[in-house]
Parts: sequence; C-alpha cells; structure tokens
Amino acid sequence: MTRSPVLEISDLRTYFYSRAKQAFIRSVDGVSLSIARGETLGVVGESGSGKSVTALSVLGLIGGSPGVITGAVEFAGGDGARAGGNGRRNLLQDLARHVTVTERDGRIVAVAKDEPGWQAQVERSMRGVRGKEIAMIFQNPKSSLNPFLTVGQQISEAIRLHTPVKDSREAKERAIAWLERVHMDSPRLRFDQYPDGLSGGMCQRAMIAMALASEPSLLIADEPTTGLDATIQSRIVALLAELKSGLGVTTLLITHDIRVVSRLADTVAVMYGGTVMEHGPARDVLAPSVEPKHPYTSALLASLPSAQKNGGPHAIDGRLSVIRGEVVDTMDVPRGCRFYARCDRVTDTIRARCMSQEPALAAVTAGHQIRCYLYGDEPRDGARAG
Amino acid sequence: MATSRATGRALARRLLEVSDLRKHYHARAGLLAALHGQTRSVPAVDGVSFALTEHETLGLVGESGCGKTTIGRIILGVTRATSGRVVFDGHDITALPMRALRPLRKQMQMIFQDLDAALNPRMRVRDILREAITLHERLDHPEVTRRTAELLDQVNLQSGKLASFPHELSGGEKRRVGIARVLAVGARFIVADEPTSALDVSIQAQIVNLLRDLQVRLGLSYLFISHDLEVVELVSHRVAVMYLGKIVEIGPADRVARAARHPYTSILWSSLVEKRSQEVPRTGGNGAAAWGVFDFERPGQGCRFAPRCPVYEATGRPAVCTDPASEPPLRDLGDGHSVACHFPLPR
Repeated sequence: MTRSPVLEISDLRTYFYSRAKQAFIRSVDGVSLSIARGETLGVVGESGSGKSVTALSVLGLIGGSPGVITGAVEFAGGDGARAGGNGRRNLLQDLARHVTVTERDGRIVAVAKDEPGWQAQVERSMRGVRGKEIAMIFQNPKSSLNPFLTVGQQISEAIRLHTPVKDSREAKERAIAWLERVHMDSPRLRFDQYPDGLSGGMCQRAMIAMALASEPSLLIADEPTTGLDATIQSRIVALLAELKSGLGVTTLLITHDIRVVSRLADTVAVMYGGTVMEHGPARDVLAPSVEPKHPYTSALLASLPSAQKNGGPHAIDGRLSVIRGEVVDTMDVPRGCRFYARCDRVTDTIRARCMSQEPALAAVTAGHQIRCYLYGDEPRDGARAG
Repeated sequence: MATSRATGRALARRLLEVSDLRKHYHARAGLLAALHGQTRSVPAVDGVSFALTEHETLGLVGESGCGKTTIGRIILGVTRATSGRVVFDGHDITALPMRALRPLRKQMQMIFQDLDAALNPRMRVRDILREAITLHERLDHPEVTRRTAELLDQVNLQSGKLASFPHELSGGEKRRVGIARVLAVGARFIVADEPTSALDVSIQAQIVNLLRDLQVRLGLSYLFISHDLEVVELVSHRVAVMYLGKIVEIGPADRVARAARHPYTSILWSSLVEKRSQEVPRTGGNGAAAWGVFDFERPGQGCRFAPRCPVYEATGRPAVCTDPASEPPLRDLGDGHSVACHFPLPR
C-alpha cells in the first residue's frame, strides 16, 4: 500500500507581468510534484528557479496584477483525511474562471484577470487552510514575527485560532510546551519577550513553534536556515531533523542549500528556470557519484566547494568547477531544453532535439525522473515544436 | 608543491601589517546614565594583530557580530580605529594625513557584499568604469576606451554590457563590474567582504575562480571576509578565526580547517551542515553541549569563549580559563599556526 499524497501539484504555472520589460515572466512553468504523508520533499534550485514561487502558489499567496496561477493543487488534509482519505480538494479550484491567458507561438501575449473575483475565490479556498492546515516558516524569522506582540502571544494566538484549545491559560501552557519542544532555552522567560529581544536563531525557533502549534497537515519551510550563522544553521537543521522523526510532519522544504536538503529530505526535486529537471530519492539525486543524473544536477553538485575538496588533491589551485553562462531568463524561455545553453553533456545525436523541443520528465528507475534526452526520447507534452 | 608555495610566500614582501587594532563602540545607555558619566563601550575589535604578504589571501571567518567587517573597514580607513596601527607597504596609514594617504589608498580597495548598493543605479557600466579609471589620473578618451576593454577582458564581461544599467545585469555580472571597478583604480590589496554570499552556487564558483585568476595574473592580495567556511577554506592561503573581537586561531588554511587547535574553530567547522565523512568533532562528545548564547556586551572574564567552551566543561571548569588576569594570548604552535587557548586541542 502506498501512502496517499498530502499534496499533489499538477502542471502548476505561475506567471507575472513585468511592467519594466513589458513581458511575462514564467516563474513556474508546468511543475508537478507530490508529497506523501510524513515525507519531506526538498526543492532545490538557484534564485529565479521558481522554487519559492511554487510554495507561495500552493497557498495562493500570489498577489499583484496580473500574477496568475493555473494548474491544480490537490490537498488532502485535516478532517477529510481523518475521515478516510477522501478529503482531497483542489486549492486552485475555479480560479481558472477568473483569468484567461492568451498564448501565441509559445509566448504569452495577454492575460485578462478579474482581480476582485480572483482574490475572493482565493480567500474562499484558502480559508481554514492557510496557517492552519498548511503552515509556513520563512527565510527571515525576525521580520515574519509581529514586533508589537510577545512571542508567547503570537504562539497562543495560533493555538486558540487553529486548535480546539480556546482557554487562554491552557493555550499558554501549550505554547510553552511548544517552545520547549523546539529547545528554546528558558521558555517561560521567552514567552513574555518581544521578537526584538531574541537572536535570529531563537526567532526561527519561535517561528517553528508557532507553525507547528496549529498542528498543520503540511509544513512549508522556505529557506529556513538562510541568513543564520553557520553554528546556528546546523542547530536549526538538527531541530528540523528531530521534529521530522519525532512528529512526522509532512514537509515541503525549499532551499538553495544542498547540504540542508541532503540532510533532511526523503525526495528531492531539482528546479531550473521554472521547471523540475530531476525528481527522485534524495540519496540518488544528491550523491555526487551516483548516476544517472541530469546534467544540471551534476554540474551543480560539482560546483560546490565541498565537491572540490572531496575529489582530487585539495585545492591546489583553488579552482571550482563552473557552470558556464548565466541562469536562464524566465522571460524569454528557449524553445528547447532550458539548460541547453549551459550544458556540456550534449551529444551530436540529441543536439537537434535539445535545441528545438523540451524533453519530458522520463522515469529512469521507479520514482526517479530526469528531464533530459540522454535518458528519454519523449518530448514534453504540448512542447512547442521547433 | 605545497612546500614550494610556502617558501615562495616566506620570501614575498610583507604588504600589510595590523597591530593591536582596537575599535570600541559606545552603546547608547540613556540620558541619565550619560549624565552620570556611565557609558558602556562595546569592543567590536579588541586587540587584533596579523600580517599579509603580497600574492596572499587571508581568510577571516567568524559569526556575525564578531568584528570581521569592522577590521576590513578600519584597514581601508572607512572607520577610524580607537587604537592600534595599520602599516601598508611600509607606511603607517593610521598616522598619515589625508593628502599623503591618497596615493596609497587607491591601491587598497573593497568589494562590498551588497551587489545593488555598491553600484550607482543611474550610471551605465561604461560610466561606472570610466569614473573609476579617471579617478586618480587624467586620461584621454582613446586611452580610457583601451583601458575599459582591458578591464572587461580581465573580468570576462562582454562588451555588450557596457551600455547596461546595473539593474539590467545578473548577480554575477554586477559582481564582475564591482571587481573591474576596483581593478580600474589600480588595487593591489582588496578587502573582499562576503563577495560570494549573495550569489547562486553556479555563479559563486565563477567569481571564486575569477578572484583566483586575477590574483595569479596581477599579483593581488586579498583579505577575504566570509562566513562561508567552505569557500574560505578553498580560496585562502591562511585563515584567521575571530570570536568576539579577537583572533582565536590563525594559520595555514588546511591546518585551521582540518586540524583546528582551538575548540571554537573545531566547532565552527564541524557545524558545516554536511557531515563530512561522518567525522566526529574532535572536542569529544557532543560539541553542542555547552553551546550557549553569547552576549558580546558582556564577554566572560578571562577567556571570552569559556562560557560556551566544551573543553572548559569537560576539563572541570579550570580556574585559569575564567581568571580575569589571564586571557589567553595567541601563542605560536609552530609552522605559522597560532592559537589563543589555555588548553589547545591535541594534534
């Protein structure tokens, strides 16, 4: 019996309009992912790869005009799941009614959006989900906490709002228990402190406590360790690992830090230019020596300082292996493979297809897919023919 | 190979010497306290000494707030030191008047962490570079053009980018423009403050390689300030580890990274999230045991690391560690490896 997915994203597309460039940005361009109950899915990618926008799209946190989301986000959490796993619903249901995207020749030419209707629909579908069923922790813990409320007030508020506990004294005890759970030192003292008086690492602990206090079915952690000191980072990672084994929280972990993902994730999706290039078990995808691998994944792993150290003599000339060129422009997505311009594993037999048609995610082993003609012949569904 | 490099450095000329540098910031303590003459001073840099030779990269690591950026700023004269000396190329620049400083100052430049704040958003790349080229000398137009092309070549930037504004550039390109600009004024010594931390992994590798190539081609020296231990270990010849305003360990990069003698250095490197080959921290037991929160306004008495030190705990809290009269000095352990600890870790 396979575990039913808590979250299933299908063909998610999120586009923004850049006024300055008068063009549409394909931030997320056809992403399909699923997370099984109790599993941690790590999404890695460089900036602009669309990893954070994927997370924000799941929660409908795409404001601004015209930021549009299409596709489906099937979520099975809370009461439905407890009743027997049939509580799945599409968080993006009916959103499509409020937008029309016009594409011509592979380019988006116009987007019409009924902004108020869209916003109202998002609020309707997200009610009881955002913050309760799906909780989120962010990169910058200090600015994500309310500076005018004590840490304790913020956690108790989450508890009283999202759990059956309504009594304020009981909520306080729960909150303190959560602070202990995330190993905040002197939790009773911290309960009455304002975020201002806490260090970055303590704020992140408070954020995690607050996110978990509402007992969510899914936790989205967006760059949870970025911006913290090295010693604090490793302690936050250790905390997340402990909570993962202790509470079995289903987690969508988004980070550019491959070391964090390799420590925490069960499965990994490598994103590049708004789409998933490789998806599979963390130990296969992130181990530098294990083949097969998408050329982007191997190049990314090789460019890490640690790769330099582990292979060959130590930093004789201090040079790192480099991915030449720049990150793909999501405003002007190439017709073929997004990584083609930087790829050094193109062979003469596949070159023509690499240039003209985007490859599909092909399964190389069970549960391990790679979007590359080296490993599969199929072009992507609906790929624009060259 | 490594030995030939080491002797080569020993023969190289000393470019920069910093001795007993101190910088105390005064904390605002309120009007009443000020009236009573009670001001708290926070030692951001508290007696730091080191030297840098030509063609050398010295990595400076430590947690935020340890004073590493302040040191870079003092060396370049952006911040004035409370006391101490900075000698660059034989001149004591802390004592020089502004006018005498100018010709030296152009040889010492800084690459800033913030890519966007470092470049004027209203100037095209061409103008940014021209401003830097003509800052210290008068040149005619063809000469400026020639020099610009040379700079672009040195930092691998396409000439098509000359007409771009900074916001039209990618992170890597902005970083390259920033490097070209410091080369334009004729830098020999560069303080690189977190030069790669705002960049993506694949771009970070390009910039690390560029800095390394420029060092070989132009004989530059770097003070490489970063909290990214892996990058520092890779690019530096020597590494200095700072804790609360003091250098606690300094030595050859591979020695500091792989055979640390100070408990703090050891914990710092073992905290690299990646568990490198299942290595057990050399401090014995759980490295995080006494890993408390530090407060740099009130460092402990004696050794300032003692309140967080696992060795201090494991050896039964020896009195010498917290004796105000015996703060451990940097002691040379041989081969240019020095450590400030009463109980350095065994080799």
